[in-house]
Parts: sequence; C-alpha cells; structure tokens
Amino acid sequence: MTEGQGPWAAGKKLDTSTHRSPWPHAAGADPSPRVTPQDDARPRFSVPPASGQLATGFAGRRGRLFGLAFRTSLLTILTLGIYRFWMKTRLRRWYWSAVRPGGTPLEYTGTPIEKLLGFLMAVVIMAFYIGVVNLILMFVSFAVLADNYAAYLTSFLGVIPLWFYASYRSRRYVLARTRWRGIRFGLEPGAWGYTWRAILHWMVTILSLGLLWPRMTFALEKYKIDRTSFGSVRLHQGGKWTMLYRIALLPILSGLTMVGIGVWILYLDPIGPMVPDPFSDVRQLGPRNPERIWLLVLAGMVGCVGIVRYIVQSKAIMANHKTAGGVGLIAAPRTGRVLWIYSMGYFLTYLCMVLLMIPLLMLLGFYQLGFEPDFGEGPVSAIPEWVLIVAGLILYFSIFLTWSVLRHPLVTLPLWRHYAETLTITGEAELAQIRQRDRDEFSEAEGFAEALDVGAAI
Amino acid sequence: MSLFPPRTFVDRAIYHDGQTAAARRIQVEVMPLEKLLVLHLDDGAKLTWPLDEVRQVPDLAGKDQLVLRRAGTGTERIIVANATDIGLIRATAPNLGRKDPVPQKGRILRWASAAVGAVALIIFVLVPVMADQLARFLPPEGEKALGDATLLQIRRALDETGFSELPICDSRKGTYALRQIERRLAANADLPIDLTVHVLDHPMVNAFALPGGHIVLFRGLIDEAETPEEVAAVFAHEMGHVEARDPTRIALRSAGSIGVLGLLFGDFAGGALVLFLTERLIQADYTREAEAAADAYAHSLLLAADLPPHGIATFFERLQDSYGDEPAILQHFLSHPEMGDRIAAARAATPAFFEGRQLLTETEWQALRAICDRY
Ligand SMILES: [Zn+2]
Repeated sequence: MTEGQGPWAAGKKLDTSTHRSPWPHAAGADPSPRVTPQDDARPRFSVPPASGQLATGFAGRRGRLFGLAFRTSLLTILTLGIYRFWMKTRLRRWYWSAVRPGGTPLEYTGTPIEKLLGFLMAVVIMAFYIGVVNLILMFVSFAVLADNYAAYLTSFLGVIPLWFYASYRSRRYVLARTRWRGIRFGLEPGAWGYTWRAILHWMVTILSLGLLWPRMTFALEKYKIDRTSFGSVRLHQGGKWTMLYRIALLPILSGLTMVGIGVWILYLDPIGPMVPDPFSDVRQLGPRNPERIWLLVLAGMVGCVGIVRYIVQSKAIMANHKTAGGVGLIAAPRTGRVLWIYSMGYFLTYLCMVLLMIPLLMLLGFYQLGFEPDFGEGPVSAIPEWVLIVAGLILYFSIFLTWSVLRHPLVTLPLWRHYAETLTITGEAELAQIRQRDRDEFSEAEGFAEALDVGAAI
Repeated sequence: MSLFPPRTFVDRAIYHDGQTAAARRIQVEVMPLEKLLVLHLDDGAKLTWPLDEVRQVPDLAGKDQLVLRRAGTGTERIIVANATDIGLIRATAPNLGRKDPVPQKGRILRWASAAVGAVALIIFVLVPVMADQLARFLPPEGEKALGDATLLQIRRALDETGFSELPICDSRKGTYALRQIERRLAANADLPIDLTVHVLDHPMVNAFALPGGHIVLFRGLIDEAETPEEVAAVFAHEMGHVEARDPTRIALRSAGSIGVLGLLFGDFAGGALVLFLTERLIQADYTREAEAAADAYAHSLLLAADLPPHGIATFFERLQDSYGDEPAILQHFLSHPEMGDRIAAARAATPAFFEGRQLLTETEWQALRAICDRY
C-alpha cells in the first residue's frame, strides 16, 4: 500500500536523532516492560517506529465506551436534553484520552458549563433568527408561491453561511481545548473568511461539475491548517491541490460515466417502451436491452467506493504534507478498512435497532388488535390515552438511545482507532523547542454549532 | 506504625511542565505523612505538590494510565503508567476525584434567564403578533396551500402505522349528504374563501378548522351525533373559525414556534415536539374571544339556515353524560369556565316554537353515518 506515504516517509526515517519516546514500551528502550494483569489497555502499535518518530496508540475499549455513552445518553433523555453538554464533554474526554501519540494521551479540557453558557448565548440570537425569519419566509413562500417547499429551501440556503461560520468557530473552540504533552492547540479567528471562501469554492465545484473538487478540499484545509498552532509553533499545509487528482480521478470519472450512460439509455437509445405511434408499422416490444441499467448500477458502486477512498486518502495525503516546525506526520489509513468499519458498524447498529423494535411494536400491535372494537364504539377506549402516549415515547426514545449509543462502539471508536494507529509523528526532537501558548477564552464556546447541530459526530 | 512507608518512589512517571512540549521522565516520591508529592526531575530539580491538591483527569479511556494535575487551571501534568503506582496514588491522594468549583455561576444564571426571556418573548409575543398581522395579508391561494400542507401533516401524525396518512372517508352517498349540510350553511354565509370539507377515518370525537377553508370532521363525531342538526351545529361553529381566520393565525404561530423550541431542546426531542404541536393544532387552543365569536357566528348562521342552534347543546350534554369531559371536542368547547353559559346561550339563541326545515332525509343521514364504509 503506497497510498498515503508522503515525502516524510522516506526522509525522516533516516533521522539519526537519539530521542526516544518517553515510554519504554513505545520505543523499545526498556527491554523488559513490566506486564501486569491490570495493564488491560496497553498501547498497541502496528509498526515499530523509527528513531525520532512517535507511533500513535489507541487505548479505548468498546465495552467501556458503550457504558459511558449509555449512561450519558440516558441522563440526557431524563434531563430533557440539558445533560447533553455533559455527555458531549465526557465522550470527548474519553476519545481524546484514547488517542496516544507516542504513548501520551491527548487531553480535552473543555467544560460542560462553558458549553452550556455558549449555547445559551447562541439561543438568544438564534431564537430570534429561527422564529422570526422562519415565520417571514413561510409567509412569503405561501403568499407568493403558494407552496412551503420554497420556504424550506430559502430557510435552508439562509442557514448555509451560518453553518460554515459555526463549523469554523467550533473547530476553534475544540482546538483551544485540546492539549498534548500539556501544550495547547489553537486556531486563529477567521470564521467569516472561511465562510465566504467555503461558499465560493462550493459554487465553483458545482459549476465545474465536480472537476475542481480537489481544489476546494485542499484550499479549505489549507485555510484552517495555516491558522492552526500547536503551542508556539504554527502549522503549515504544504503541497498543491493538484496532488489530490490521483485519487479524485476515480469518483470524477465514474460520475461522468454515469451521466454518459444516463444520456444513452434515456435519450439516445431509450430503454423504456415508447408511446406507440398509430401511423407506424413498427411495433414496440417492451423495454429494449434493459440489462444496460446494470452498467449504471456498476458505475454508481464504483463511484461510491471512489468517494470513500477520496475522503480517506485526501486526508492522508494532506496530513503527510502538514508540518509544525520540524515536526511532521505520516498517515497511512486504509480505504478498505474504513469501508469495512462503516458497513459493518452501521449494519450492526441497524440490526440492533430492528431487534429492539420488534418486541415494542408487537406490544403496541397487540394492544391495538385486542381493543380495537372499543375504539370503534366510542371515544373512551379501553387503554387510557396516557398508556399509548407513554408507549409511543418509550418507542421514540429507545430508537434515539439505540442509535446514539451504538454508533460509538460500533462505528466511531473503530474509525478513530484505525486513524490513530496508522498515524506516526516525525521529528520528535523538535518537540522540546515548542513552548506553551496563551489560553483562548472564547466564551461563546460552540454555541452556534450546538444550535445548528454542526459536527454531530461527537 | 504508619499504614504507608514514609517514602515511596513511583518510578515510571512522565512529567509535562506545561511550558514546553518536552516529556521528562521523573521519579515521584509519595510522602503520605507529610501529605506531599515530591517530583524529582531529570536535571536534579525538585517540585512539591500537596497531596490534597492532586487531581486526576477524568473520563480517561485507558485504565493503564493515570493523568494527574493540580487543582486549578494549571497546565502541568504527571502521567503514571503502572498498576502498582496507580494504586498507590489512589490510596494516598485524598481528593483525587474532586472537581474544581464552577467559576461562573452568576454568569450562567444571567444568560439562562436571558435565553428563557428571549425565547418567551419570541414565542409568546413576537411570533403571535407577527402571525396575526401576516394572517391578514395572506392571499387565499397561499392560505389554501398552507392548509393543504397542515392537513397532510395532521393525517401523517394521526396515522397509527406511522408509515402513511390517515385515510379520508369519501363514500359517494355519504359525501353527497355532507355536501347537503355544507350547501345549506354556505348558502347563508358569506365566507371569504371556498370550503373544503373532509371526514377523517379516526375514532376521536372531534372537528377542527384549518387554514384555507378546510373543515375536518372525525368519524367519531359523526358516530356520536344522533341527528344531522347536531353535526350541522358543530360544522357552523368551525365555519365561524374559518370566517375569523383563526386557524391561519395558529398555523403561522406554530411555524415560528416549532423551530425555536426544537433549538432549545436539541435534536433528540425535535420529533416529539412536532407531534406535540400537531396535537395543539387539533385541539385548536383559540382564545375565549375567538370561541365566543365562533359561537355567535354559528347561532346566527344556523338560524338563517332554518336550523336549531341548540343542536350543539344537546350533543354536548349527551356526550358529557356518557363520557365525562374526556372527548377531545369537549375539551375544545369546554375549556373555558363559562361553558355552561355557552350551552345556555345556544339554547337561548333558539326562539320558542322554532320550526326548522329538515336538513337531511333519513336515507341521507344513514349514508353520512356510513361515509367511512368502503364496501
Ligand atoms: Zn372553536
């Protein structure tokens, strides 16, 4: 697998630095690492790193994460959503601490209280926007167009700039609350600059039928990375946007192929039966060569795989071109693995949801069948209305709970583990030169992102 | 004899001074009697942490490590990575799991009240005032579209399978009978908009009006009525709401409020909230004035159409006798304390020796009652 091997892969392995990871078992300095039965989650490394390099370990267990996600989600439901700020913070602490570059865990220092505060600040502004603007949009779309889809569309378009703005601000907050080796990360202010760039790049990408997609991927990432710092060191995104074409070609070509096949089987040589022409001798005999539809399906599947490969490998290629002073990254995630994690993870999540729903639905159906005549006879049914309401609420919330809890151990954790374990940090010797940076107060925290549901992953 | 030896060394610890990204191997000396943690750095320097100020970083994923910090906002960290050492620290540091005090309680309270105030202002003042104003300027086609969208939403919400919409009852003869009632009443009314009347196949004893001249009767209501005049009385009351555009105002209000409440409660309660507001729409929580106006409208309309206004009184009294205050329609009509007055008013509106004209023939009435039968 040569994919994702950046220029650092060859260059930095020759580094003769004598610095080692502080952890004996990470760099192999201690010939006989103590192993005790309690050491249940020792860092695992897929490749022993060269000297001056730090491999990244991942220390989390699915069972523990399931327990944490379950407890916090349940509390969120019981507190009518207020606990969600605590839930998010605790899950982040957990994930951050599971990732251990060079054996030292990342630390998330955001607090639930500041998230709550930021959310309250955003509510004051957003409630006005959502209440009044939605009402006006709805009125205008019904008054002028006699249709509410226009309102949804304009309302949606109006939120897009806010969405980009919020995602940048949210990134700034999360980086400001992330530490490694006691040193803070940081992101410079620049949310509006990001917003208009993102909108322009999206428009250009859409107008170019996706051909300039890599340009957007690279430019937006560079905008964010070039404003990111680790302690006193500024990060730099090197490379050029054209380097992403190597992996963008597959999804772009399969997209164009799909358009081509579509034109062929719909217009040039239509697949469907034509309207019989009464003045013609030629009789239509059903659809012609319907097997051509499989070409479309095939191109679509290749395109989907291509998109996942692009998303995974574009991250890797760009990571390999990131530097922070003399420190660099080697990322080597595998597309097949990511595809497998997604498909198995979601399959199992849905399977669990279905298995959970069957008994609940049967219970409800049983009630319905057993008491239907009473419904028909009069307004006073045999089951009090509150029983139905409670049953409905339990159903609704157990779907919510299953989904939000199982996603963590089945999808998010394996993904994080894979990305972590395929990441290596180079130039360890330079780390000692990096100094602390000041705290970014940022009292709004993630208020807007929270209100707009940006970055719903964790 | 003390429980712990006076000096114990924790060997495998890493110290981050919070000033540089260097990782330094240190020896940590635990001194339980002096209540101190002494850090011996690699350059011979010594640092002292009071044991009762030692805290652990919470929610750590890997249980093979313990990350220590000092109480407060300092950036120094000690990472201990050995089960025995972790056990020792846990046994000697008394406040390991304690949290730092919340620093901004007053600020949170201020912003919380500001947020609650802003939302209350928007939902209870701004959105209703704007909705009332905008409802007046909504052209009939727009109102119709709004009503169509709302009706679809209600039919979806009430469908028990959750996958389709509640069916509309439209047997041919039943629909014809329903049209008789509608024609008789509409001939004597001067509505700003054409009526669209539907019967929904649902056992609830209820009826409501929607924007754009929609009047919706539930099957349960027709089942419970004993005479067509009782149905007509409910019908006329809903026409009063249509005439006053009450449903349009309510629908516009809920459009503004749904988003705001969804914002407050986050994603997970959003779905439950839409159901709740749909319920509010069906229960049609109009003001006392709006209900009185609809009553008055109904009385004069019924009289003009040679129908007895007290139909509604007999209908409700009978429902109340058999079921108490439970049926939805009683909630709609009985929600105000002067309900008795309203029944009395309906009776008073009927002149003595009132001779009505027949509304439906017995055959038509039976057809209306069977409007939901498909076969
Ligand atoms: Zn009413």
